[in-house]
Amino acid sequence: MSNSNLFLKSGFLRAPLQNGVGRFVPQLQRIVFKFCKTHGASRGMRDFIEQDLLDFAKQNPNIVVYMKPRRHRSPVIVAEYLNGDRFWMSMHNKTHDEITKWVEVMRTQQGDIAATRLRKLQYTDHPSIQGPWTPFTFKDPELNVASLPDSKYGANDRLPMSATEKLRLMFEQQKLNESDIKTAE
Amino acid sequence: MSFIRAGLQKITSTFRSTPGIISRYVTNLAPIESSVVPKTTKDVIATCNKLIEQKASRNFAIIHLLGKQWRVTDGDLVVVEGYWPPNIGDKITLDKVLLAATKDFSLIGRPLVQPGLVTVTATIISKGLSHTRTHFKKKRRKQYMRINFQRAEQTILRINSVEIASKINEPSKSNVF
Repeated sequence: MSNSNLFLKSGFLRAPLQNGVGRFVPQLQRIVFKFCKTHGASRGMRDFIEQDLLDFAKQNPNIVVYMKPRRHRSPVIVAEYLNGDRFWMSMHNKTHDEITKWVEVMRTQQGDIAATRLRKLQYTDHPSIQGPWTPFTFKDPELNVASLPDSKYGANDRLPMSATEKLRLMFEQQKLNESDIKTAE
Repeated sequence: MSFIRAGLQKITSTFRSTPGIISRYVTNLAPIESSVVPKTTKDVIATCNKLIEQKASRNFAIIHLLGKQWRVTDGDLVVVEGYWPPNIGDKITLDKVLLAATKDFSLIGRPLVQPGLVTVTATIISKGLSHTRTHFKKKRRKQYMRINFQRAEQTILRINSVEIASKINEPSKSNVF
């Protein structure tokens, strides 16, 4: 259930048989409604079958719909998909509306997608088009032709500023300021 | 202000010209104010238009979808989480394009690329629910513990095409905005 659960498979986002490239194929292949004709727990299921099932079957000619009455057992819906997944769900005491919603979920999903935790929410065959970044990507290409060792590149530029340098900077700044006052007038 | 800036430029120029210890501490990059922005020449635009016409390489785009930004190219799969009306089999165009690019050039929107210039089309291939996520909170020694389970709606999109429809620098005639 959580990420740390040992028994929940994790996987990457896939679509069966390049679905959606060129044409789209609905993935629900077969749906089986198992219910009891008399028991109260199948009440919602019976309502669904009486009111909505014919429309559902007409609107989805690609889906095979089976009904399996069985005495005094819980109602169950089993959905089978083109990728081989089998999605079993108990409909015990579920209302007509709840069953309508769950059937819609079974119709639109591409397999038992809740059985795996997705590690990434995107899948691409082309992770980089302009080339992956490297430390040299936006660097000056003059390094390519430089002959090393070179004092220009080998100089230690990580030294802290010494007191002498600080003094010299201050001196230079002072000189500049003085000259600026004179020329600004 | 101007004479201070002039002074600073002078100081940097003196240090840059004299090779010594101090020159190490002065960046070689000129300040932004004084750098000249190169004018975009017609050649660049013409080259880009030629590349678009030739379809020289694969395109990609950064699109904005339900508060998230995705880098997409042809054939990608994207999962949108949360309530989203489109149903399976629907073909949609993703209009909020923040950036479109090929191997050789990029068109960067401010914030969106000019509408009509780039078309990103997608098909919805699956709508289902995610696995059950557990939200577990506990505070030690405070008799506080909460556990929540939630499943998000997941819509899987297949990106069919990322196309630069028209030429750069030529406004499209059917501009809806």
